Amino acid sequence: MHVHFGISLASIRYTWQAASFRSMADGNPNTAGFSASVPTEEALELEGVRRRDPSAMERIFDRYGRMAYSVAFRVLKDGPQAEDIIQDVFFQLWEKPSLFVSGRSSLGAWLAVVVRNRAIDIVRKRKACEPVEDVVLAAETNVTSEVERRAVVQRIRRILEGLPREQRQSIELAFFDGLTHAEIAAQTGDPLGTVKTRIRTALTSIRKAFQR
Amino acid sequence: MSEGTHIPREELALYAAGALTEDESAEIKVHLQRCGLCREELAHATEDVALLMMSVEEQPLPSGAKQRLMSRVAAAADRQAIGGTELIEMPKRRKMAASFWTAWGAAAALLVVSIGLEVKIRDLSARVAQERQAAEAQDELNARARKVLSLLSSENAQRVELTAAKVHPVPSARATYLASQGALVLMANNLPQLSKDKTYELWIIPADGKGPIPAGLLRPDAGGQASVVLPEIPIGVGAKAFGITIEKAGGSDTPTLPILLSGAAPSAGD
Repeated sequence: MHVHFGISLASIRYTWQAASFRSMADGNPNTAGFSASVPTEEALELEGVRRRDPSAMERIFDRYGRMAYSVAFRVLKDGPQAEDIIQDVFFQLWEKPSLFVSGRSSLGAWLAVVVRNRAIDIVRKRKACEPVEDVVLAAETNVTSEVERRAVVQRIRRILEGLPREQRQSIELAFFDGLTHAEIAAQTGDPLGTVKTRIRTALTSIRKAFQR
Repeated sequence: MSEGTHIPREELALYAAGALTEDESAEIKVHLQRCGLCREELAHATEDVALLMMSVEEQPLPSGAKQRLMSRVAAAADRQAIGGTELIEMPKRRKMAASFWTAWGAAAALLVVSIGLEVKIRDLSARVAQERQAAEAQDELNARARKVLSLLSSENAQRVELTAAKVHPVPSARATYLASQGALVLMANNLPQLSKDKTYELWIIPADGKGPIPAGLLRPDAGGQASVVLPEIPIGVGAKAFGITIEKAGGSDTPTLPILLSGAAPSAGD
């Protein structure tokens, strides 16, 4: 394994983080020689959780706790309820790490969806409608490091800002307020088909941003 | 995808968002159980939802949130450890009418409990010994870490970069940053030459969750060396990480993937 002498001395963590970049940068002539075979920091931490190492769980929370809380807060707009959700989801991961199938997307992406779905269940005052093990993500954007995640987030925010107002409203109502398409159509006065198309187009725009 | 035999993408996007009615969701669930293509499409839609979620504005965690989780984790770990030592199972006994047998039964039960306690005491002693060993091992690691730190911070140490023979050295960089003064110096080595319309750009990833801050352009010399010295950056921005990307010649406001080089800033650093 090559070691980036300049930036990896202060902590071994740098080396693992650099490894995740290498896998992302594959195919770029500027990164020739980088190896993708090194396990990511995230994979090592999940392995630690499977071995019942609390410090591994702590590192996972350090990395994704704030993001998960922000997702729950965005939906619920209530701090204590948002914390209850992330406490439960992270504890569930500790109790049963096999719930997250590694190798498919990143743990952060999975947590974001699981936390969001739990929060929507609360908003809609319904029982959890989907077991967390049924949440499966495609491995299109393996956002395992902080730098990657920040870059991706910036890009998505730009895309969202560029969407027409009606489309942004449909996204808001569907993804953060938990309304069904029929409820959105009733609220906005738009035809059902238009609402569906707007939601799909918004998701497609986000996906396209990663297929350039 | 044939719309006749598979679920339309609109429906899967709505399903991923949980924005369908219960009846509609139930219908899709049945189809998903037997259709790999639609499951794959749903995985893509769910990934899109994840990206959307990760873009929400970051909120500070409530004070003590991590401690509350870790207390729960520690309690669960303890329960599991203690549960694992309770190996002695009380035997099932037939009901005896005579008090004679009751007395013997009580004595036997006491014996079993005693054995159980003995096992637990041995187990606890073993755990104490393990903890002691772990503490000693940690001391050794700390001493070693201090030695490494002393070596790395020594002005007299020789610093040599070694690369594999007969291959091109890979890019690397070292950033030195003082947030309180907004002072940053970055030295990069072995950067490949870029076309005239491209440049390397350095980014500070702020610790407060805000977007990356551009921190100067890098134009490598013929030997692949480049530096950024005291760029114009805001003062007092705590850094979580640094990254270098390839951008258009004039630089960009936001980084373009892939990220060529990156490094997390030590959390205790300024």
